[in-house]
Amino acid sequence: MRKLLFILLPVIAIAGAGVAWFVTRMPASPFDDAAPDETPSAEVLAHGEYVARLADCVACHSTPESAPFAGGLEMATPLGSIYATNITPDPETGIGGYSLADFDRAVRKGVGRDGHRFYPAMPYPSYAKLTDDDVRALYAYFMHGVEPARAENRKSDIPWPLNLRWPIAFWSAAFSQSGVYEEKAGQDELWNRGAYIVQGPGHCGSCHTPRGLAIQEKALDEGSNLYLSGAVLDGWFAPSLRGDHNIGLGRWSEEEIFEFLKTGRNEHAVVFGSMADAFNNSTQFMTDEDLKAIAHYLKSLPGNPEKDGAPWAYDPSSNEALAFGKLGETPGAQTYVAKCGFCHGADGRGQGRWIPSLAGSASSLAPDSVSSINVTLNGSARIVADGVPDSYRMPPFRNQLSDQEIADVLSFIRTGWGNSGGAVSADDVKKLRDRTDPARSEVIVLQMR
Amino acid sequence: MKLQINNKAYDVEADGDTPLLWVIRDELGMTGTKYGCGLAQCGACSVLVDGMVMRSCVTPVESVAGRSITTIEAIEEDEVGKRVVEAWVKHQVPQCGYCQSGQVIAATALLKQTAHPTDEDVMAAMANLCRCGTYNAISAAVRDLAEEEGAQ
Repeated sequence: MRKLLFILLPVIAIAGAGVAWFVTRMPASPFDDAAPDETPSAEVLAHGEYVARLADCVACHSTPESAPFAGGLEMATPLGSIYATNITPDPETGIGGYSLADFDRAVRKGVGRDGHRFYPAMPYPSYAKLTDDDVRALYAYFMHGVEPARAENRKSDIPWPLNLRWPIAFWSAAFSQSGVYEEKAGQDELWNRGAYIVQGPGHCGSCHTPRGLAIQEKALDEGSNLYLSGAVLDGWFAPSLRGDHNIGLGRWSEEEIFEFLKTGRNEHAVVFGSMADAFNNSTQFMTDEDLKAIAHYLKSLPGNPEKDGAPWAYDPSSNEALAFGKLGETPGAQTYVAKCGFCHGADGRGQGRWIPSLAGSASSLAPDSVSSINVTLNGSARIVADGVPDSYRMPPFRNQLSDQEIADVLSFIRTGWGNSGGAVSADDVKKLRDRTDPARSEVIVLQMR
Repeated sequence: MKLQINNKAYDVEADGDTPLLWVIRDELGMTGTKYGCGLAQCGACSVLVDGMVMRSCVTPVESVAGRSITTIEAIEEDEVGKRVVEAWVKHQVPQCGYCQSGQVIAATALLKQTAHPTDEDVMAAMANLCRCGTYNAISAAVRDLAEEEGAQ
């Protein structure tokens, strides 16, 4: 027994030391031996600012009240809230002391300057694909193009021992393919540029790719048909960005995807939910060439007809329920006429590219009703295109309609006009009403379900 | 862009996404149609488009180009609209009056589609808000109109 212990102890000690080394080691950066920071050219600064737009850094690293990039945004996780950090060049509270190599490790590896591992709320599995050039320019922008702001980082509310960061090193090893995006042979330049933005800085998969048990994205590129196949996150259903006819981009042309990302709307849909942030802060600032590249890449991803179900086709027979004299017969019809039809049309088909169609929309066809309920309860965010707020916005109906009224009208919408999303129960509405109550202190951001 | 309002043709310069309300009020100077909430919630901005009620504050002007628009200014040229206004006068419906052009438009649209509306129809169609609380008078006027013998 004692002999066994003598053999085992060193083994355990060595294994322990190995683990300790692994979880605290500083990953190498190609910039480890880079020359100290120099004042960048205007061109490099502009490039860096553009990469920050592509990556939408500002969306999480700011709050409406804070200085840009000063952090503070609360993200609730099932274990407790975490708070986005100050990434302004303030030397004490921000990243002013970061070298290019430190910055690179943070962005592409999810490792802080002191070696602590980041929660994967920071999409470093995607940012890992950023090119050295883009990282260098991004660093230059954050060091020289962003105003330093003094704002202490806030500690997470996650209790010990769950707040220990070192186990995240194993998560990263398992789920983060480190490595810069590699151009795919056999695909043209446009496709490769689109793939780079979508998979890398754009981190589209953070919302649009389903996540596994360890909250990892199930795929990080088009090698799997789960990539960008649609997911529920933050109380919204992020539709498929693949060729799915119903819940994806199957009915969208490349030009229509371009128009959507550039102006926030097209004949099929208008941005809402989390995509309103992505549009307001990121996609509208992308160059036309980059938006075309994204559209081109997304249209190359095939749909999954088996999962998507029978292709939607408009069925006008639902309009009969909306005729005077019949309104009492179908639950939800009267509410539709009084509350919804003025904007979304007496036929459910919206108004051109200004107000979206409910007939055939991804939210009305998705089996998960969370987007339909959430937008009805809480309305849509204002879309600011080119500095001008749009004229058309979905108001919140939280205080006007009961759980049952919302359930009835959404059931009518999600089963009418050929929609196959299915009925909604008052209980579904109540759950989301409670979770998204603005008077509640627990925010639902990043709550994965 | 060409608009057909109250049987008159207008050439307007507004961008296609401008809400119809602002074209009617600001560009064409017809101020009978009111701005209330801007979110299709209150009904003060209601107009008729091809006889159907529309909330002009959420109607992109390009979507009604070439269609027949009727505002409160010309509602009495419509036979049903005329009867509605008469009933409104008889029941002395308005108090401050701000919402009333929308209320009259809504009632006209309802009665043009169904001469004898059910209670559900009235509830769905007369969803306009009134800060003065003239709902009882509106209800009495609409009930009167719905029960009129001559109506078809």
